[in-house]
Amino acid sequence: MPLIEIEKLSKHYQVYQKQEGLWASVRGLFHRQYRRVTALDGIDLKVERGEFVAFLGPNGAGKTTTLKILSGVIHPTSGTCRVMDYVPWQRVNAYRRRFALVMGQKNQLWWDLPAQESFRLHQHIYQIPADQFQATRDELVDLLGLGKLLRQPVRELSLGERMKMELTAALLHRPEILFLDEPTIGLDVVAQHNIQQFLKHYQEARRITILLTSHYMKDIEALCQRVVIINEGRIQFDGSLAEIVGQFHQERIVSLRLGNSNGIDDLSQFGRVTRLQPPQVQLRIPRAQVTSSLAEILNRYQVDDVSVSDPPLEEVFAHLFTRGKSDIKETADSGTAAASDSAASDSAASSAGVVRR
Amino acid sequence: MANEKATESDFCKPTSKLGTIQIEPEGIRDLRTGPLVYWRVFRTFVRNSLVRAMGFRANFWLECVSSVCWTVMNLVFFKIVFTYTDSIGRDTGWGENEFFVFLGTTWIITSLIQTFVMPNAQEFSELIRTGQLDFALLKPIDTQFLISFPQMVWSNLANLFLGVFLVIYSVYLLTTNAENPLPFGVGHVVLYVLFLGCGLAILYSVMIAMAATSIWLGRNQTLYTFWFYLTNFYRQPMEIYQQGFWGWALWGLFTFVVPILLVVNVPARILAEPLRPGWDERTWALAGLTVLATCVTMAIARFVFQAALASYRSASS
Repeated sequence: MPLIEIEKLSKHYQVYQKQEGLWASVRGLFHRQYRRVTALDGIDLKVERGEFVAFLGPNGAGKTTTLKILSGVIHPTSGTCRVMDYVPWQRVNAYRRRFALVMGQKNQLWWDLPAQESFRLHQHIYQIPADQFQATRDELVDLLGLGKLLRQPVRELSLGERMKMELTAALLHRPEILFLDEPTIGLDVVAQHNIQQFLKHYQEARRITILLTSHYMKDIEALCQRVVIINEGRIQFDGSLAEIVGQFHQERIVSLRLGNSNGIDDLSQFGRVTRLQPPQVQLRIPRAQVTSSLAEILNRYQVDDVSVSDPPLEEVFAHLFTRGKSDIKETADSGTAAASDSAASDSAASSAGVVRR
Repeated sequence: MANEKATESDFCKPTSKLGTIQIEPEGIRDLRTGPLVYWRVFRTFVRNSLVRAMGFRANFWLECVSSVCWTVMNLVFFKIVFTYTDSIGRDTGWGENEFFVFLGTTWIITSLIQTFVMPNAQEFSELIRTGQLDFALLKPIDTQFLISFPQMVWSNLANLFLGVFLVIYSVYLLTTNAENPLPFGVGHVVLYVLFLGCGLAILYSVMIAMAATSIWLGRNQTLYTFWFYLTNFYRQPMEIYQQGFWGWALWGLFTFVVPILLVVNVPARILAEPLRPGWDERTWALAGLTVLATCVTMAIARFVFQAALASYRSASS
């Protein structure tokens, strides 16, 4: 049985529409206009124990809403959801002992006190035996390099240090599932990297299940085997990173350093030239033709250096997210390559159609 | 790059300590959040808020001094009032010393509410607005408990000591009064403490239910204003309302609907026995009503709180 099972989950909000101007505001005191916002529009998802899944999508796509429903913070409008056989929004203590939620934008530690004091509170709330508490805390503090900071008031920590403290607090009771909502937001490269390393290491060692949302492709590249793309409250894709790149980007980038610039202008016959700064040239060549084109180029030109890479993930996603829904419908029937994952749903197939145009 | 390399090498050194998480660790389903857990958590709240208060020493003393000043002025005001009259109301029995038992009780209750309840009710409202309530909802412990006690403003407790002192001193004067001495025994103390508890529970319930409405209103900053109105009504002996249409209307409203008039009146009445000797039927009726009102307001507050949590929307990430 899957650890997390979501079926047709939807969440709608009524949002008050504030009108412009004073008179309209006065009217708004008595009669308000609401707009219905769909945060989740019937998603289906299964997650097995020990998976590390990334939720990806533009702002307002429904990623955080999904995590909040899974952790029981909010109720869905319709649909079902079971996590470890519990219904999250019933907020049963037994369930709440077995997972943790960390949010990059919200802080749960006591602001004016050293993190140590918040840890102690967690110890009592989760009823962690003293020896286990100490062992877990020391191990986490050791892994995250927090030793000297335990006694410093939280308000005097850097953002990166605070995030590490938040992670420590969340992991003290050894949760089986960890929900991470943009844990690296606003962090510098080094701090981001540290947290990625930690999560990777911890997940591998403990085999816990992690669901992560992030805007940083680096997080996802470094950590997740499985990526779920959400856009406008629907799942558009569910599969591995390689599949996304393979399906949604038909080109690869070939960078060349040429010995001389003879015939450099003819390179465009192999693909789109995206940079031309002799001796450096960068080309975008359709995936299927990369091998043959490269052989030809190596044959005809004096090439000092060559590298082939995939387009940056950001570009792939930007490409994906800017597609409207109408586009998906139009091309749904032409979508042949569906995600090979078991969860390859209609939406995955239709979004595959997006790039097939 | 070099920088990244360096951090990578000394970061996350594999330790042998990390073990695989047990699937359904033994006993975790059977763990109960019992009274002992609540006591330990409460103790941690006390400890943490004390540590916090000590962190801002100057602020702590300033707050103490300002609230004590207010209280002393309050006392002086009523001292002046009693130079013009012998009692509050006609034939009510609230003479100067009886009334000072009442006033001391008011201080005790106000100070306890301002130390333990108000900061949390206020903060609860803020947790809702900012979406920080998320974290309280995740914890395997009663949410109402968790949001009711985390912050304590210890400087407000200064008035508790003044109140206790005033009550003891006034009771001493009453018991040693030659004309009509106040009978005093352990029973008085027990009942007094019990009904103080009821009073606190009533005020707590009213405040928490008020704060919970922020979930529907988005923002509710009327709490302090509301608290101010409440204190204006409950700090007088209820006899002063018992005349004229509007007086009786207010008395009815604040005795039966929002029963805040019972909060100070009942314990003060039990201790000071304004209509000595003995407790009259009215006192017993009010005491019974207070017990009932405590149960009902607590139940209503619980209901409002749960309903509010069910419609919590959690502000943006």
